[in-house]
Amino acid sequence: MSDNREFIEEFLVESSENLDQLDRDLIALEERPDDAQRVASIFRAVHTIKGNSGFFGFSKLGALAHSGEHLLGKLRDGKLTLDDRVAGSLYSMVDAVRSILRSIEETGGEGDHDYRELSRTLAAVAAEEAATPRPADPAPAPVSAAAAAVPAVPVSPAATVAVSAPAVTAPSATAPSTVEPPVAAAGPAAAESTVRVDVGLLASILDLVGELVLARNQLRSIDSEDPAVQAVSQRINAVTGALQEAAVKTRMQPIEHVFSKFPRTVRDLAVACGKEVQLVVDGADTELDRTLVESIRDPLTHLIRNAVDHGIEAPDVRAAQGKPRAGRLTLRAFNESGQVTIEVSDDGAGIAVEAVREKAVARGLIDTTAAATLSDDRILQFIFEPGFSTAKQVTSVSGRGVGMDVVKTNIEAIGGTVDIHSRAGAGTTVRVRVPLTLAIIPALIVRCGGERFALPQTAVSELVPLRPDRAGPRIEGLADAPVMRVRGRLVPVVFLDRFLGLRAETACRDQGTVVLVRVDDREFGLVVDGMQAGGTGSRDLLEAVSLSTVVVKPIGGLLAQLGLYSGATVLGDGGVVLILDLRGILKAAALPPIEREAAPVEPCLEATDRSDRYLVCTTRAGRRIALPLARVVRLEQYAAADLEPLGARLVIRRGDAFTPVVDADAFLGGRQAEPGERVQIVVLDDRRSGLGLAVGGILDVVTAESDLQPDLAAPGICGSLALGGLATEVLDLASTANLGQSA
Amino acid sequence: MPSPATTIRCCAFRVGGDCFALDADQVAEVIREAGVARVPLAPAGVLGLVHLRGRIVPIIDLADRLGIRRAATGRAGTHLIIESQGDQYGLLVDEMLDVIDIPTDRVEHPTDAAVSHEAVVGVFAAAERLVHLLDPERMIQSLVRPRTPTPARHGASHGGPR
Repeated sequence: MSDNREFIEEFLVESSENLDQLDRDLIALEERPDDAQRVASIFRAVHTIKGNSGFFGFSKLGALAHSGEHLLGKLRDGKLTLDDRVAGSLYSMVDAVRSILRSIEETGGEGDHDYRELSRTLAAVAAEEAATPRPADPAPAPVSAAAAAVPAVPVSPAATVAVSAPAVTAPSATAPSTVEPPVAAAGPAAAESTVRVDVGLLASILDLVGELVLARNQLRSIDSEDPAVQAVSQRINAVTGALQEAAVKTRMQPIEHVFSKFPRTVRDLAVACGKEVQLVVDGADTELDRTLVESIRDPLTHLIRNAVDHGIEAPDVRAAQGKPRAGRLTLRAFNESGQVTIEVSDDGAGIAVEAVREKAVARGLIDTTAAATLSDDRILQFIFEPGFSTAKQVTSVSGRGVGMDVVKTNIEAIGGTVDIHSRAGAGTTVRVRVPLTLAIIPALIVRCGGERFALPQTAVSELVPLRPDRAGPRIEGLADAPVMRVRGRLVPVVFLDRFLGLRAETACRDQGTVVLVRVDDREFGLVVDGMQAGGTGSRDLLEAVSLSTVVVKPIGGLLAQLGLYSGATVLGDGGVVLILDLRGILKAAALPPIEREAAPVEPCLEATDRSDRYLVCTTRAGRRIALPLARVVRLEQYAAADLEPLGARLVIRRGDAFTPVVDADAFLGGRQAEPGERVQIVVLDDRRSGLGLAVGGILDVVTAESDLQPDLAAPGICGSLALGGLATEVLDLASTANLGQSA
Repeated sequence: MPSPATTIRCCAFRVGGDCFALDADQVAEVIREAGVARVPLAPAGVLGLVHLRGRIVPIIDLADRLGIRRAATGRAGTHLIIESQGDQYGLLVDEMLDVIDIPTDRVEHPTDAAVSHEAVVGVFAAAERLVHLLDPERMIQSLVRPRTPTPARHGASHGGPR
């Protein structure tokens, strides 16, 4: 048997795929019992399993599949019509096959469970030949609750009592896209156009391509007068770029791999909870890194379980409220600004925000005043607090959110975020955002003690330069517990040079740059080099740190055990740079939990809006303007040629995402200056894709020395401020957003 | 010990004034010493990282690990790339020597070896010098273990775990 190990593994993989397809086909067949093609596909799948199990000598599996095949043969020949009993027994067979396969995978044997009764049931069902084939039934086909709710347990005929009429139905033809049609269309064709490739081989191809990209960079840096060399260099350049893109795609897998299991999950849950649920799946072809596809499976299953169990009301309750009896559960995946967003939304009862608010106060997470001022959406996020949702009050009132902290932890572990929106009576939407891949991340490259390090940009919230000579944020506190005051919050800081032993005494205390990062809901500052050049402008800030998209490479167990580096990357100049493991540093630095005490609550939007730090820049026409720093996502420089016209406006393309660009002068009602070669863009957090403001140059980041003097007369200006000793106009970002939208 | 009359094909190399050898099957590659990126707080003996065709490989200073004092020759050394449990490692050595066939029955227990370390698993008296047989796996494992105080620079008088 051990000689067969390889073949058996292949058989297991193939069979498990067949079973997933079976689940989908059965659900579709319940919807349209007269779909002959579907029956034939199910029959083929079961027949294959039967054939293979005979080959490997798995007799129980063979017998079971044989009974199933017999029943399906009757269906195929039209001697039997799919009704509750037939569907129920087929589901039981699929579950039983699955559990035998699991047993084979784990122990190598079929296990001790006796499936003969199930085989008998299948035979009994097959024996009852239908007198007349039923015409196609447009209504959702009812299924047996008892049969499907208890997986892998043989169903005796007596157990098939129609309890309710739960149904997982494909949505109407007007729905954007459903699980069903793509599966039907892609079935055999997809199988023929794909091959199985060893994951290790793909990884080594990616490595080699990365190497090629570096060599390409070196080639580009060589000056050659020879036009032939230039032409070849250009060609290699283009091909390498395309090759890298294609190689990266081999890591990608459609989210379908996770979504495809959900129709069955939802069906079983609906049956178990006595609900009617209509599942709508959209964007199953959205692609995601293979490794991430697996890590979102559990959190999503959890969210779906919550939605069916607690979100969607019982059919009678819904009917009484004037809602359709069947609740609608929507799974939607799409690409958005370099990330994948997955929405799980239901049209159920929603969450009683007041109950959450009370609970948050009772648990001491916020005080009463804060609770009264925080928006409903902010309050809802407390559902993700550890242990919060297990409280009876919340679950009994709103019936929602068991284990949401686990969902959040799992999603954050892969660099994602999760938030929740809900309206009482109208439903709940949970939005999960995960990076496309963990293999390639946007990173901030910082310098410290003569070394360079990369930080995952998603964790970075702000860059704060330290100035000894001026008012501004400074590092306070004792040597062993330094802190920084950021907008009223006390944030612990780590001197990276001292922490990593790069220098015995930190050189950054007065002239470094603090990178504020947030991991696992803890904020801390990492003090790195910068500003030594004696400069005062933000140019130094830009030189001390830079942004780059980096390919994450493992550093091996020997160095990973340090818990300080999550990998390494090779920069464009060929230098190897370590990627800091911020979670590990947070742990190793054992920072005091002072953030909560000093802060009124979690950093909330209200506090951020009172930000008194501004980014001061000049427009291209030379006008001095200021922007609230809290709204600035990052600073970028582009060649004028990189700005593409899209309709009437300009956009910057980054991957698949577009960031609209507004010229600051044009926005202020002035004449737009002639574009130079380089354009400085301030990316603002407006809207989903961000908004780029084209300015002439960045002057500084300063703290306001006065209150905002409102001035509504000037277009695009909300007032003026004393900044760095000069009166400076502050851009009205509310209207910038509108402009970005309408332009 | 192993059956007589078999030989192991080994890569011989020099670290300081001593001669060492590794089973050639365990050597994936030999490259010239080049830009090693420093890793702060790395275990003693780990020089840093090099980039090798898309992979990031930690470099181990054999002289440090074996307690050998190296003369500062200013000459670039050589990285011997080996594989251990799926990860690649580079061993920094001073100079590659020949590939030699060592008869297993002439490998002696390393009690009288000039260099004593748990990774030195045997010695072989070649024509004009003593060749220390290294087990790279043990070398790596001695690093992977929880951090221990920096080993003595020279004259490490006993093998086994410190």
